[in-house]
Amino acid sequence: MFNFTNEEKKVILFILGLALCGLVLNNLVKVNCAVERMVYPAIQLTKLDINKVSLAELVATKCVSMKLAQRILEYRNSRKELSSLEELKEIKGIGDQRYEKLKGLFFI
Amino acid sequence: MKRPLVILTVFYGLGIIFTSLMWINFWIITLIAGVIFVGLVLCRRKNGMFLILVLFLALLLGYLNMKNSWVLSNCHLCKLVVYKDNSMYRLDGFIANQPEFKNNHLWFILRVRQMQLNELRYRCCGEVLVKMDFEQKFNYGDNLTLTGNLNRPPSFGNNQSYRDFLARQNIYLIMPIKNKRQIIRQEKISGARLIRSCFGLRVYLEQVISQYLSPVPSSILAAMVLGQKRSIPWLVNDSMVKSGTVHILVVSGFNVGIVAFVVNLLLKILRFGRKVRIILTAICLLIYCLITGATNPVIRATVMGLVFLAAYFVKRDPDIYNSLVSAALFILVINPKQLFDIGFQLSFGSVLAIVYFYPKLKALIHLESCKIRMLKFIAEGCLVSLSAWMGTLLIIALNFRIISLVTVLANILIVPLATLITLCGFILVLFGLICPNLAHLFSLPTTTLITLLLNINAVLIKLPYAYIYF
Repeated sequence: MFNFTNEEKKVILFILGLALCGLVLNNLVKVNCAVERMVYPAIQLTKLDINKVSLAELVATKCVSMKLAQRILEYRNSRKELSSLEELKEIKGIGDQRYEKLKGLFFI
Repeated sequence: MKRPLVILTVFYGLGIIFTSLMWINFWIITLIAGVIFVGLVLCRRKNGMFLILVLFLALLLGYLNMKNSWVLSNCHLCKLVVYKDNSMYRLDGFIANQPEFKNNHLWFILRVRQMQLNELRYRCCGEVLVKMDFEQKFNYGDNLTLTGNLNRPPSFGNNQSYRDFLARQNIYLIMPIKNKRQIIRQEKISGARLIRSCFGLRVYLEQVISQYLSPVPSSILAAMVLGQKRSIPWLVNDSMVKSGTVHILVVSGFNVGIVAFVVNLLLKILRFGRKVRIILTAICLLIYCLITGATNPVIRATVMGLVFLAAYFVKRDPDIYNSLVSAALFILVINPKQLFDIGFQLSFGSVLAIVYFYPKLKALIHLESCKIRMLKFIAEGCLVSLSAWMGTLLIIALNFRIISLVTVLANILIVPLATLITLCGFILVLFGLICPNLAHLFSLPTTTLITLLLNINAVLIKLPYAYIYF
């Protein structure tokens, strides 16, 4: 049989009480936490909005070089916004082949 | 009885086991636990009653903790995913472990912060196992945005399925990545800086090992010293499973002991005081635990080592049972599901069997009276192997359906070799870091020892009835 002193008993009680409270609180937090929802229309999944895409996002697609990405943004800014993806072909460095690749990445 | 923690851990473990046997509402158990706690406060002067109530409360806490571990938060990723459809999800998060390239795939765990489904973005929590079909340089803490499908891990209807294995690590989803376009890497770095540094050091140490040894020996040494098993050829792993010596490929108490001994020795040479030595050794043990990936056997060995160091710190005799159960309790409080993990069962089962059976077997054959030192040394090795074999036989037989009859003999021959290899490995790594020119001196003996170990293992498993599958 264990012979706990009064101090030891107090410590055991404190630890067990704390563990019990911790478990109950943890469960309450898990069950009652609400999902924060926010609308995020700028980016559609897998495709990027060509009129809102940033330079970093363009480069991150790995389909265009930094120079070409800058040219795309300059072209877009000069026209305020693109009305169709076909307009990309007018940019120097975007031929049919590259256009086919970019078509799959962007939307308007 | 001088081991209150042992009996407390046993009751806590029983509570965890009861969760899978009985289904009682969380709040009913909480109410009972609350009543018992009040009873404890009232009966604190009655020793017997106090003890019974403490044990019963430990049992209920085990039950509650296990039930709570299965409850997923409302904002957990799993609750926001629609199963059995091909929706594309966009996940923002950071890498929560060191990525590993294994079986032609790069695997890592992504700790998710935000999830996007179509035009809705949620703040969420949870972890996803990412499986990439190509190799790319990633590190712990890298922030990524991944786009792809989320699948449930496969389950083949076995008792111990892959889905259950991952669920015990709180992973319920896998995201396959087939194209680089599915990944956007952010510049920000998350995660604990200490863990990042430890993983960085591990990668560097692996490079040091592979620099001095050829691929197969370096993969074995990386497993023995750094706990990195991913590069071990399947054939080597399989042959060691058959001979029952696969445990040498896991970082365990022996490695932790070596680290503690070497650090303590170095600090002693530098004339540090006893208390400072103990504190610094404890810090080094924690760092080594992080470097090796903090798996169950390493956590067990580290906690046991820390309990021993704490005992030396306060000048008390350490008790092996208390240190062992404190390690078990530590793991089970953090994640009670680990009780059903085979790695956990094997690690604690083998150590418990050695601690319990070895002195009894030693007394049974009157080994102390043996005068020939060499014979005594061999007999001791046999008894340790036999004890470990007895402790793990049932677990291995039930889970892997294999009984290795050559285990005891294999361990007698292979464990001393593995000990030498581990020592050589530590020296090689140390010299590789401090004085690379001298490291070459240790690479050849290490390679020779590893080759010898593999050959002995290959011969042993070719013996008739070396192992039986059933």
